[in-house]
Amino acid sequence: MGPLSRDAWAQRLGAFRASPSAFMAGPEGEDLGRDLLGDLRSEKLSEQTKVSLLALSLEYPAQLWPDVSAAEVAATSLLDTLVLLPPRPSALRRPLLLAATTALAAGGALGPTSGASCRLLPLLLGLAAGSDLGRGFVPASEQRPLQATACECLRELESCKPGLLGGSLGLLRGLLGQEGPVQPLSLLLALALRNTLVLQSRVGAGLGGLLTDKVSPTGGGPWDWTLVEEGDGRLQPQAPSWPAAEEGEGERSLTAREHSPEEARELRAAVIQLLDTSYLLTPVAQAQLLWLLGWALRGLQGQPPALFKPQLVRLLGTAQLTLLHAVLALKAAFGEALFTAQDEALLLRRLTLAAQHPALPPPTHLFYLHCLLSFPENWPLGPEGEEAAPLLLGPQLCRGLLPSLLHDPMALLARLHLLCLLCAEDEEEEKGHLPSPRHYLEELLAGLRQRAALDEGPRALATVCFQASYLVTRCLAGQPTVLTPLIHGLAQLYRVRPMLASHFVDFLDQVDSELREPLKVVLRQEVVSRPGRDEALCWHLKMLAKVADGDAQSATLNFLQAAAAHCMNWDLQQGLLRVCRALLRAGVRGGLVDLLQVLARQLEDPDGRDHARLYYILLAHLAGPKLGVALGPSLAPPALASSLVAENQGFVAALMVQEAPALVRLSVGSHGVKGPLPVLKLQPEALEPIYSLELRFRVEGQLYAPLQAVHVPCLCPGRPARPLLLPLQPRCPAPARLDVHALYTTSTGLTCHAHLPPLFVNFADLFLPFPKPPEGAGLGFFEELWDSCLPEGAESCVWCPLGPQGLEGLVSHHLEPFVVVAQPPTSYYVAIHLPPNSKLLLRLEAALADGVPVALRTDDWAVLPLAGDYLRGLAAAL
Amino acid sequence: MAQRAVWLISHEPGTPLCGTVRFSRRYPTVEKRARVFNGASYVPIPEDGPFLKALLFELRLLDDDKDFVESRDSCSRINKTSIYGLLIGGEELWPVVAFLKNDIIYACVPLVEQTLSPRPPLISVSGVSQGFEFLFGIQDFLYSGQKNDSELNTKLSQLPDLLLQACPFGTLLDANLKNSLDNTNFASVTQPQKQPAWKTGTYKGKPQVSISITEKVKSMQYDKQGIADTWQVVGTVTCKCDLEGIMPNVTISLNLPTNGSPLQDILVHPCVTSLDSAILTSSSIDAMDDSAFSGPYKFPLTPPLESFNLCYYTSQVPVPPILGFYQMKEEEVQLRITINLKLHESVKNNFEFCEAHIPFYNRGPITHLEYKTSFGQLEVFREKSLLIWIIGQKFPKSMEISLSGTVTFGAKSHEKQPFDPICIGETAYLKIFFTGHVNVIVT
Repeated sequence: MGPLSRDAWAQRLGAFRASPSAFMAGPEGEDLGRDLLGDLRSEKLSEQTKVSLLALSLEYPAQLWPDVSAAEVAATSLLDTLVLLPPRPSALRRPLLLAATTALAAGGALGPTSGASCRLLPLLLGLAAGSDLGRGFVPASEQRPLQATACECLRELESCKPGLLGGSLGLLRGLLGQEGPVQPLSLLLALALRNTLVLQSRVGAGLGGLLTDKVSPTGGGPWDWTLVEEGDGRLQPQAPSWPAAEEGEGERSLTAREHSPEEARELRAAVIQLLDTSYLLTPVAQAQLLWLLGWALRGLQGQPPALFKPQLVRLLGTAQLTLLHAVLALKAAFGEALFTAQDEALLLRRLTLAAQHPALPPPTHLFYLHCLLSFPENWPLGPEGEEAAPLLLGPQLCRGLLPSLLHDPMALLARLHLLCLLCAEDEEEEKGHLPSPRHYLEELLAGLRQRAALDEGPRALATVCFQASYLVTRCLAGQPTVLTPLIHGLAQLYRVRPMLASHFVDFLDQVDSELREPLKVVLRQEVVSRPGRDEALCWHLKMLAKVADGDAQSATLNFLQAAAAHCMNWDLQQGLLRVCRALLRAGVRGGLVDLLQVLARQLEDPDGRDHARLYYILLAHLAGPKLGVALGPSLAPPALASSLVAENQGFVAALMVQEAPALVRLSVGSHGVKGPLPVLKLQPEALEPIYSLELRFRVEGQLYAPLQAVHVPCLCPGRPARPLLLPLQPRCPAPARLDVHALYTTSTGLTCHAHLPPLFVNFADLFLPFPKPPEGAGLGFFEELWDSCLPEGAESCVWCPLGPQGLEGLVSHHLEPFVVVAQPPTSYYVAIHLPPNSKLLLRLEAALADGVPVALRTDDWAVLPLAGDYLRGLAAAL
Repeated sequence: MAQRAVWLISHEPGTPLCGTVRFSRRYPTVEKRARVFNGASYVPIPEDGPFLKALLFELRLLDDDKDFVESRDSCSRINKTSIYGLLIGGEELWPVVAFLKNDIIYACVPLVEQTLSPRPPLISVSGVSQGFEFLFGIQDFLYSGQKNDSELNTKLSQLPDLLLQACPFGTLLDANLKNSLDNTNFASVTQPQKQPAWKTGTYKGKPQVSISITEKVKSMQYDKQGIADTWQVVGTVTCKCDLEGIMPNVTISLNLPTNGSPLQDILVHPCVTSLDSAILTSSSIDAMDDSAFSGPYKFPLTPPLESFNLCYYTSQVPVPPILGFYQMKEEEVQLRITINLKLHESVKNNFEFCEAHIPFYNRGPITHLEYKTSFGQLEVFREKSLLIWIIGQKFPKSMEISLSGTVTFGAKSHEKQPFDPICIGETAYLKIFFTGHVNVIVT
């Protein structure tokens, strides 16, 4: 694509600026950066158009050249364009330098491996030094502006890569002393000096000859990146925030090393040089210089802060925001070392004066007020970081800073804060001849409420009133002389203008209980003492939903009953139901049942009736705590921003059974053999307290009759639970797998359902003994059983391995209850009843050292393999 | 200390967006530092559209004030400075320095050189005051001598080039944008050495110093027991020094006229090189007594080229220049008003203009008016419920004039008539505007 025309570019730039992200996502986005670089060299475009292209690249390099390599290519291209400019004055040189600097710094390409950086840095330093770059590179008329621009570019690069100019300190100092432009050089030198001090002391080195070494670091050789690398490329706050600086690493590293007397002298000379010419800088630049030098010298040995003193008087007289702010920064940095108590008083006086001077604009007043409340005192009394009235700022000084209704909201609140702080102090002091600040405060709040009560007043008036009340409660908590009238005033405001209910609800949410509880009581009285039929009913209901609780039930219910007759539309009905809901949560039962029944019949809107019925059912069926949970805030995040949906989701969450991870564990215990059925002994264990546990079992394959559920009222972790007995009714004598589900209620009232790991019923768990034969008849009984098995049954012989305990051990451990005839230690006859109606008979005789042959008979073919596996497994189980 | 971005937004109530971004400038190198310094708490600078919307909402300049919105109206969201946190896309952009003046919103976002959570105290953020100074500078540039919208547009179109001079990388170099304008215009002039940065060239020609003093009198008269009337003079001394040399030293000394009240609350221009401590401490905060410093007020300085405000002061005049009496009585459907004004004899009876505004708030439009005046004419703005009594250049010889009459109002229609939260019922005021010439002796 050839170069675009001026208009085409104007259109394209306009589209880009309207929404950069949309433009870059569009078809033209990808080429914009490349086209821009290309067209800068086009001869068809005017300089003005090219400047506007460069202006774009100054603002959006990240969009035009999104990665490091693209930024590097762009910077190279911009530098090439600069070199190729014909040797006549051009408006492009300055913006090209700025653009190349921006591309490198913002694109993250600045570094020793970047070719463009290695070209740009010496070029900038050469320009800053005013040296001859040859080939008429800089026309004479442009030399000084470019010199200043080069300084600015270097300063920006130094800000982004601290230490970059550490090797050029001497050169810059020399330039400042000779002919260079004062402001750019001063600021550049101050920044480089500060960064060097921090970096050098971090590695334990001194300034060395850096301040006196006037040789240009570029003297043909490569750029010196040592200091930058020592700093790990970490950014240095040029003016660190105060509390951060207190504990920050920067300060420690600055004090870490003493400079040699020689170095200290040179450093002092450089600082004095900078301060002496600071008067030649614009006010904003002077302020920057003071912030930089102040924090650079803080804590440095041999650098008395008194160096700054000659500047202070001059600065205190001005109204310039940046200058006074810089003085405050010096105050914070040096405290008493630079400002005596008298100085502090004078500074406070000037700030007080500036905070109300009619010649200054309101935003300035507000900022100075903020400065007063955050004033860096020499000896602060209160905790760090909390707003407080400085000690030296007495009531006399504050007289002009009292709030009045004529102030705009921000000024009013700022001044009110100061007044509150005065009131807080006033408590301890005797009443002076001045009118009491507390009285003044009360009158002001009354005025604010009066204004908020105006019928047509904009919402902002109400907002200010509540903000002021909130501010007062926060500053003067625990002072009933202030809070009591405030509560009554607010109740009165509600009486006059109930439509502020939303503000009241918000206020109640924000204040702490000291104020909230009494305010709730008076507001409830305000609402319920009024018959509910006027247009304010919706506000009353909103208010009541917030303040209704277990107290004064009958008055509240009477009000609602009266109101119900007037709730004709959906809105009001919902409001009414919300109050019912609040009462339900608060545990009100008695009269509410009647009201809900009436509403369920009487409300016009079917949705309202349904809700009333639902609440009624909930009230009738749920116990208090469960009700609280069901009506509490929704547990599931609402999918839609609709209150109704949110409410329903709340119910769903609270009333439906929730799928949950199992909070209970079951293990099968040793089995006992009593009674006519095999019984599984289960040991439950809870991970959290759970209630009303119901365990449901399902037998896979219908091998047994369906099992009864087991109920446990309560399980607590760490408290041993009684074992649960689960009787089994086998339909055939076979082991089985039981599927287990648990249903329980958590301590928060939710009902949960969980799937537990399956339980296994082993073959041996089904064993039951035969009724005991009379003494001495054992053998006959056994033989009778033995013979009865054939011919329908089966017979087999199994080799049962024996462990070290031998046959006796095996029998006593596994088969004891079923032994019919025993001749220890050699012979045992065992008869096992397998429900529903099978038997298994074993003869264990003539044991050898490692095993015993077992003759077995059963009347059920299917049992044979199970019995064989069982016997073979016994030794292993021992 | 640097700015991440700056915006100028015109406030246009009634339009769908309620405003338009007229100018914006971002500083990507500062933004890069912000990302590193702020770490996890970094919130990027939004595009113009979302910023406009969030700012107008925060400043309550959208037309939807009707409903309670917690993120704006909650009592705990207390803002006591012109510095805001804007909710944009679920994150809060802070600090945003912003204020509205003449239907233009000036806004910028200063760099904070540390993490933003917890928020550092505002006073410790160096970029905040610079941001204010930046915005004030732009405001001065746009409105100095500006008369109409087309001039404003011209100046807005000059801003990109000017900021390239005054704030190329987000660190403000000069809040006085006119200096940058001169710099661009006279870039080819070779500047001599050790030139102050705030002085863009040198003067050649006849040396002369001109000084003018403007005093504004603010007086509130209640004529009510228990409330003291107040009056205060706010003065501005403006200088223009046409002197040769790079750094001419000048001392300007102000003397009070005989029996003149002392100057107080003096704020000086930064070009003043030193100040007497008596000037620094003389303040209206203190109770007045004879020991108050009464001059001469000496200001040694090196003047800039352009006209500048040497100092601002306040002063307590012994009496108000015009003494007023205003009475209002509600009589069934109409209001009966009586006004008397008396010019003080010490004031020169010669005005550029003098008029009294008599507004009526919280009432309907004026439907009927009967009046009698001893002097001047009355203009009636029925829809605005406002009377303007044009007194003209002179009071009559008696120095006293009066106006009396009855006003009847129609039904209130909420939108059109002015609302005031204070002027309810018989609480009302009248405001007198005048400019005159006062003889000042400058030595």
